[in-house]
Amino acid sequence: MLDRQNYLKVKLFLKYSREVNGRSSLQISNDFEHLKALLLWAGSQPLGSAHAFNTSLSDFLFQKVVKGLDQAELQNILNTNERFFLWAKAMFPVEFQSIRLSWIMKISVISEGKEVII
Amino acid sequence: MSENQNTLNCRISRNVLIKAPGLLPMLYTPREIAEDLDVPETTLRDWLNHGAPHSRDESNHIWIDGKQFGAWVDNQRNSRKKSTHQLQTGEGFCMRCNTIVKIQDGEIRPVKGNLSHLKGKCPICGGIVNRGIWNAGSSELPQG
Repeated sequence: MLDRQNYLKVKLFLKYSREVNGRSSLQISNDFEHLKALLLWAGSQPLGSAHAFNTSLSDFLFQKVVKGLDQAELQNILNTNERFFLWAKAMFPVEFQSIRLSWIMKISVISEGKEVII
Repeated sequence: MSENQNTLNCRISRNVLIKAPGLLPMLYTPREIAEDLDVPETTLRDWLNHGAPHSRDESNHIWIDGKQFGAWVDNQRNSRKKSTHQLQTGEGFCMRCNTIVKIQDGEIRPVKGNLSHLKGKCPICGGIVNRGIWNAGSSELPQG
């Protein structure tokens, strides 16, 4: 079972994106699909301790989700997740205090030498 | 504990059929799942009354497991599918009796190319039964 608090944070982020950043319904729908990968990656663990998870998000995507995705789509997923963590760190500073900005900025970098299965 | 009341078939929209497999393996409130599937909450509560899987906690709040609900939607779709019956050799559909019958006194006439026309009588009502057949041979004609 996934952590409901993570799901609620994702929903709050999507609401913020729509109302404050003015993202369209289609963009919100795409963002939600991208963030589902994040929720599955976190599982029952809180996202506030994401930096301590055993596998990195990009590794998880390569292992579980990446089948049928191209490099550009994978990059989009990682970019959306980076935007989410930046927002979460600003909105929940106490809960996300152990997550460093440098760690967040590395989320969207796909490791060298990894091939995407198309 | 889970509650399953009337297990009747519900009409599920195409939109829900597409979105339901994307539900996450977690507990949703009825409002959340209605938002994710883009259906009114009243419709969702109606489905719960018709046997959609859900549970209630000590405070009597309803919780729906996303994966179980997705499986239920898939099950609803499959149960609505009509079973198909492949016509056997010498069989046809009688429009009077509204059933599949073994054609009597069948005659095969070539129409065009591999397509032939089998015409015969219904053994029940005696009416004419027609059937189009591909690559017709003598085996298409019923015995007796």
